[in-house]
Amino acid sequence: MRIGWWGLGLLLCLQFPSAQAGDEERKLEAVFIGRFASYIEWPAKPRDRFVITLLDDNPFGSLLDDLYRDKRIHNKPIELRYATRLDQVGETDALFITLSSSAARAAAIDHAQRNGILTISEAKGFAESGGIIQLDFVEQKARIKINHAAALKSGLRIGAPLLSIASVLRGDKL
Amino acid sequence: MKPLQGTLLAFAVAGHAAAADKAVQETNDYYQRPLEQLLRVETQAKAAVGSRGGARDALDAEVPIDIITAAQLQSTGQTELLRALAVLVPGFNAPRPSITDGTDHAPPFTLRGLSPDQVLVLVNGKRLHQSSLLHNNGTVGRGSSGVDLNTIPLRAIERVEVLRDGAAAQYGSDAIAGIINIILKGYGQNSQATVTYGRTGEGDGITRQATLFHSLPLAGDGFVNLSAEWRDRGATNRAGPDAADGGRINTHFGDADTQDGLFAVNAELPRGDATLYLHGLYDQRRSSAGAFYRSAGDARNIAAIYPDGFLPRIEPKILDFSATAGVRGVLDDGARWDLSYTHGHNDYHFYVNNSLNTSLGLATPTSFDSGATRYTQQILNADVSKKIGPHTVAGGYEFRQERYRIVKGDPASYMLGAADNSAYGAQGFPGFSPDNAVSAGRQAHSLYGDLKYAVSDRLMLDAAARGEHYSDFGSALNGKLALRYRATDDLLFRSSVSTGFRAPSLSQSHFSYTGTYRNSNDAAAQFWGNFAVDHPVARALGATDLKPEKSRHFTLGMVFQPSSQLTASADVFITEIRDRILPTGYISAYSLSSLSPQAAAVLAQNNIDGAVYFTNAIATRTRGLDLRLDYCQELDNGARLKLVGAYQRSRTRITDVNQAPDVLGVNMTDLILDPFTRVLIEGSQPADAIKLWSKYSQDIYDVVLNLNRFGKFYSVSAYDRVSFAAKWTVDGEISVRLKKDLTLALGGVNLLDVKPDKWGRTDDSLVGTGKVIQYSQYAPFGYNGAYYYVRVGVDF
Repeated sequence: MRIGWWGLGLLLCLQFPSAQAGDEERKLEAVFIGRFASYIEWPAKPRDRFVITLLDDNPFGSLLDDLYRDKRIHNKPIELRYATRLDQVGETDALFITLSSSAARAAAIDHAQRNGILTISEAKGFAESGGIIQLDFVEQKARIKINHAAALKSGLRIGAPLLSIASVLRGDKL
Repeated sequence: MKPLQGTLLAFAVAGHAAAADKAVQETNDYYQRPLEQLLRVETQAKAAVGSRGGARDALDAEVPIDIITAAQLQSTGQTELLRALAVLVPGFNAPRPSITDGTDHAPPFTLRGLSPDQVLVLVNGKRLHQSSLLHNNGTVGRGSSGVDLNTIPLRAIERVEVLRDGAAAQYGSDAIAGIINIILKGYGQNSQATVTYGRTGEGDGITRQATLFHSLPLAGDGFVNLSAEWRDRGATNRAGPDAADGGRINTHFGDADTQDGLFAVNAELPRGDATLYLHGLYDQRRSSAGAFYRSAGDARNIAAIYPDGFLPRIEPKILDFSATAGVRGVLDDGARWDLSYTHGHNDYHFYVNNSLNTSLGLATPTSFDSGATRYTQQILNADVSKKIGPHTVAGGYEFRQERYRIVKGDPASYMLGAADNSAYGAQGFPGFSPDNAVSAGRQAHSLYGDLKYAVSDRLMLDAAARGEHYSDFGSALNGKLALRYRATDDLLFRSSVSTGFRAPSLSQSHFSYTGTYRNSNDAAAQFWGNFAVDHPVARALGATDLKPEKSRHFTLGMVFQPSSQLTASADVFITEIRDRILPTGYISAYSLSSLSPQAAAVLAQNNIDGAVYFTNAIATRTRGLDLRLDYCQELDNGARLKLVGAYQRSRTRITDVNQAPDVLGVNMTDLILDPFTRVLIEGSQPADAIKLWSKYSQDIYDVVLNLNRFGKFYSVSAYDRVSFAAKWTVDGEISVRLKKDLTLALGGVNLLDVKPDKWGRTDDSLVGTGKVIQYSQYAPFGYNGAYYYVRVGVDF
């Protein structure tokens, strides 16, 4: 009987991961990834799925899978992939980068630009260093910074509704 | 498996699934909203304090943390950080002392009914130095030196994190009642200028404030943020008429007349994986308040100089600044590091005007330089942390060097001349004499480590340890174990046990303030006053080097968050402190009837009338409860309603008394715990507080309404405890956006003009109903009554 109680306690403590109820920043980030993508046009690709890849740590738990399980972007079902290294990133439409090293981020940005991939990150200086969309949270509210030149270089066209609510870098910082 | 276990397991799994469904449902709800609306969603506040693994949701922390935002600070209508936090933080007590020498000009504050020096204050996570002022009168915080919060410009602040738990095992000395971490505005801020004008309902206390916050963006999302502020707060006076002076109001009892020039800088310059950072604060203050009135016939007056008597003015000049420069970065393996240097300095220089030195006769000056106290702190800090999967390991080293100085005043400010035998020095505040001058320092080395171990996604353990070595009192080793268990996605339990300490401040060890008088014209001068613990007289009377105060803490709480709109939390806490440091009572043959002949001989041989020194005296236990309810609702018309309710209760009791030095022949209760001191520790601060804060925001206007209850407190008159009833006050503000970047705010603090109870009938000549001083200076919301203001703000 005692073993049963211990087992129950252990199960209660070690329940399978889920997104935290209160982490609004993560929820918004998860939502923004797909919502951004819906305002962006990619060069025609022969894939029948819209692929979102998370590079490095996954701060979302199961939230992305739960959210995008029944969603469609550009009328395609969504496939989520998780990579810990750049060489694990295969063909993808959007890349959410959580790498902590600026050199590693720069390599990921370079890879993305060469392959027409939308890059998103919350790293400071991301947009200035050639990333396409930078998500910031200032005083508990989200802010969007877009490097429009980087998007054009990647062959992506960003819709006016998204540009209109973002801080847009139009210089030559690619 | 038994049926009960099976049922519980089923409930647990079902509950988990339901909670996960709810999180997904909320996220799905966000997914359907327009992008513009998503940008208006207010996320949960993050807190960096109490964790070396980076900021996390305050509600998700292992320990209770309150977050005060810049908008909340501004909507209080207060122009000083001290007053704004007193409105917003339950358990934060900041009375308005008056006729208390230096304390009038740098008032103390406390958390949870403890002492001002038992709160650690950080700026951007780095220790802020304390004031050099030792609160030496009968105020809350008597015998302590605390941080002067009013040296920080209000508009430079992004948020204030208030950690309601002991955390000395992570941060070192002082973090007993809690930690206040002030985060300066950083990346992505708008520039702003404001002008504020306010006055009390009685027409005094005119406050004028002009602020400028300017943010300069740098490459890589770096920034330089500059804040400048000029603040002129006029005096208030609630002194009653003096019947002995023809019914004149001759005394000043109220806020000091204070002008501050403040400046702050906060800058970050990213370079690859490293970021150079700098933050600094600067405040120069001029202030003026009265001492007790000397009537025309007072023996301390010289009628030829002041025919109608005089009110000495204590008018200090206070200079306070601090700066932290550092670099932090991340290594390729994800490890984070941080190196920094912090320098802090406080110079509290006493000047006395409209006064005289009676003992100098007609040759006396009427203005005096009474000397200064100075405190300097330098800190070198190296931190490293690394996330290993869901776990975080952190550690670091800190070197701290402190110096405390007392600078003598000009001779006329302290000397005993030939014209009078007893009224020495500058009336109002006699100067520090050469005997009091001191320059004392110490160094401390600290090593600390912190492990945050995720047993599972729901159970987190946090273990911390910190070892320190101080060059004066020796070593201290403290630990903390905290546990956070997320039972469901809605419900979180948290608990912590820890030990802590507070190093005796240099001011407590080395403060010396003595005066002189003569029994007759040809007798040797007699000394009296406060002697440093290493002074030969204090030593002969049993003083020893001060030991650190040591504490033990326990907290247990829960957070319930049934939706993203509603959060409720409840935490109970117990804090036990032993060897608390207090000044002794007056050690003299006539004030301590059982004083030993040996001690009396020491006094006589050294021409000492009586002496006071600091000693480790008592143990206390503080028990309390914190309740908090947060509700936020986005309304269909685009408006937002925010409601916060908070209740705090704490009660401190003296549980033990140390043994008095044998040489005195008295017990410690007789030596220290007179009724005044006992009430000061156990009853002078409100036992409870309620804060009900509400804000309704529309596109073009915000309405804020705050309801505050300040609990009952006690004071002492002629050895009798006097109680003062709890009071409710109401604050309100309406803020209108006249143009996109132009805001006009009208508001009032204590709109119903509530005053604390007056003293009843007393035998005191000055304090009591119908007398000069009618209110207790322990009153937690002061005694000014209503205050109204208008503020104009421009964003650019």
